[in-house]
Amino acid sequence: MPLLHRLAAAFGGLVLCVPLWAADIDARSYGYPLSNPFEATIATTPPNLRPALPADADIEQADYQIKLRPEREFEVPENFWPVTKLRYRLAQQKGQAPLIFIIPGTGGHYANSTSEYLKKLFYGAGYHVVQLSSPSSYDFMTAASRFATPGFTSDDADDLYRVMHAVRAQHPKLAISAFHLTGYSLGALQAAFVSHLDETRRGFNFKRVLLLNPPVNLYTSISNLDRLVQTRVEGIDDTTTFYELMLGKLTRYFQRKGHIDLNDAMLYDFQQSKEQLSDEQMAMLIGAVFRFAAADIAFTSDLINRRGLITPVGIPIGEGTSLTPFFKRALQCDFDCYITEQLIPMWRARYNGGSLNQLINQVSLYALEDYLRNSSKVAVMHNADDVILGRGDLGFLRRTLGERLTVYPHGGHLGNLNYRVNSDAMLEFFRG
Amino acid sequence: MAKRFTALLCTCLLASGLVQAEHQVDDDGFTQPLQHLQFNPRLDQREFERSTLGALNVYDPLESWNRRVYHFNYRFDQWVFLPLVDGYRYVTPTLVQHGVSNFFSNLGDVPSLLNSLLQFKGKRSLQTSARLLFNTTLGVAGLWDPASRMGLPKQKEDFGQTLGVYGVPAGPYLMLPLLGPANLRDTGGLVVDFGVESQVNLLNVAEASGNHPEITALKMVDQRAITDFRYGQLNSPFEYEKLRYAYSEARKLQIAE
Repeated sequence: MPLLHRLAAAFGGLVLCVPLWAADIDARSYGYPLSNPFEATIATTPPNLRPALPADADIEQADYQIKLRPEREFEVPENFWPVTKLRYRLAQQKGQAPLIFIIPGTGGHYANSTSEYLKKLFYGAGYHVVQLSSPSSYDFMTAASRFATPGFTSDDADDLYRVMHAVRAQHPKLAISAFHLTGYSLGALQAAFVSHLDETRRGFNFKRVLLLNPPVNLYTSISNLDRLVQTRVEGIDDTTTFYELMLGKLTRYFQRKGHIDLNDAMLYDFQQSKEQLSDEQMAMLIGAVFRFAAADIAFTSDLINRRGLITPVGIPIGEGTSLTPFFKRALQCDFDCYITEQLIPMWRARYNGGSLNQLINQVSLYALEDYLRNSSKVAVMHNADDVILGRGDLGFLRRTLGERLTVYPHGGHLGNLNYRVNSDAMLEFFRG
Repeated sequence: MAKRFTALLCTCLLASGLVQAEHQVDDDGFTQPLQHLQFNPRLDQREFERSTLGALNVYDPLESWNRRVYHFNYRFDQWVFLPLVDGYRYVTPTLVQHGVSNFFSNLGDVPSLLNSLLQFKGKRSLQTSARLLFNTTLGVAGLWDPASRMGLPKQKEDFGQTLGVYGVPAGPYLMLPLLGPANLRDTGGLVVDFGVESQVNLLNVAEASGNHPEITALKMVDQRAITDFRYGQLNSPFEYEKLRYAYSEARKLQIAE
């Protein structure tokens, strides 16, 4: 019975390859218009392809603050006064509803545009939404982080978990039917660790956890980002810096257009114009944004822990003191420098850490491989052309998550998050 | 085998969709977005540092004072301004809020027109005149903005811009109490524009504001409500520097355009 054999083999093959069957969306039926990952990352989705969202006026929301580390007020200079309490945003539904926590990416503020977008999306679908700042952000590091040295993911997750509890305690009357969790970019990696922590502490019993474009190997991601400012950009010379080049393009673009009109649609129009940016220029732009985040982290972590690498220990700083000299120093420090100079020494001192490879294994998704493989509530959405990934990272996700991984063909880093197909998939995941 | 099949499938699918990228696609479907970028071979380029250090050179001799005002504004915003804005938004229907914004924006077209004329921008002057005409009449004293719907977008020109067009340098950077970032030239411009508005006295508003400070208060609350910027939103210890650079460059752009 060769036919039966063959059928059996085929069936067996199907069963065996189930864990590998991540949902791969093919480019044609996906229909995302930007096939250039850098354009997608910067401009995100064209406005007419975005989902319908509730207006700000229709959202019942407010910013709250919690004092989590009362000692910080006395430890940090007086010009840190705005961040001695942790602020967050809560949008609440009228009656009982499930609640979603949103964790943003590197250096992300609770009210940054991506987090606001996700809030509107989930709020419109009937969830309470809590927007938190990233553990790698200036305000979270100062107001909520125990060691103020972000990057050791399990510590960051622990800090986040405490914050979530404090948020929950601040709204005892809020009727919550279930807890969900999501995060994007670095926040997605942290969300995975928070979910793992929740399995033992059982404070929330998250029902579903969605990781949007997480780094797989944290070191690959930060190396990629550090490298982006090393691209060879045409048009830079002794008299023209990169920013002058960009602003020159912008000026000429508006002059040709006749008036200044900054809006979402402008970015597409700009890329169609004569001033269009090359891939190298866009890469540099993205890299620069992350370098600023790195500078903020390096400065804040150094200051709070009194390491004296950027700010001399004991130097008086008041509200009128210029921070520019420290900014200039912090700017020279990229993610790699921050890890080498601050994170690794802290990790070695506190956790008896060893080599860089050991650190990478502890802070990346590798540390949660077994958990991710067996926990059916966790899903990942990623893009095949995401700039924070390296070779083999998608393979790891495929092996580990199987069908709980969705890979979109385009979108760069987070560019397709506000594409209607993606937003539908996200809502469907939490509904399901 | 299954893996290879998946990879093959992915490759086919991706190849059909990707025209411009001749990237080699990995077995797991990764398209290696950084592969074709031209990198500095030794990865020792310091262009980011050079650009950014250059951008920190904004003439700011009063920095210490400015930083204190920045913190004052930040506090005032959090404790007075934004609660007022929230209250205003809570009690006022959205339609009325738009009406109020349009009304003050229409009054603001008067100095815009004058400055367009001073800069000999013919087309813009005509458009702004038409805006004023339509909005004041059809738009019922400016409460409604029919001109924008007719394809006459608002194009703000202030006296600081006019001075800039004629080559007046920006002067030292200034953080103004309540009003936010400015420089010496634009502060002068602000005073002139205010004078123009009260001299022209369109719809008698400027004169009435003298007797009714609540009109000025409403104008300020409306201004704050439609300004998206929030202190702290850059979430950086170096927000002062970033704001300063953004302001300086935005003004240069407005003047050049």
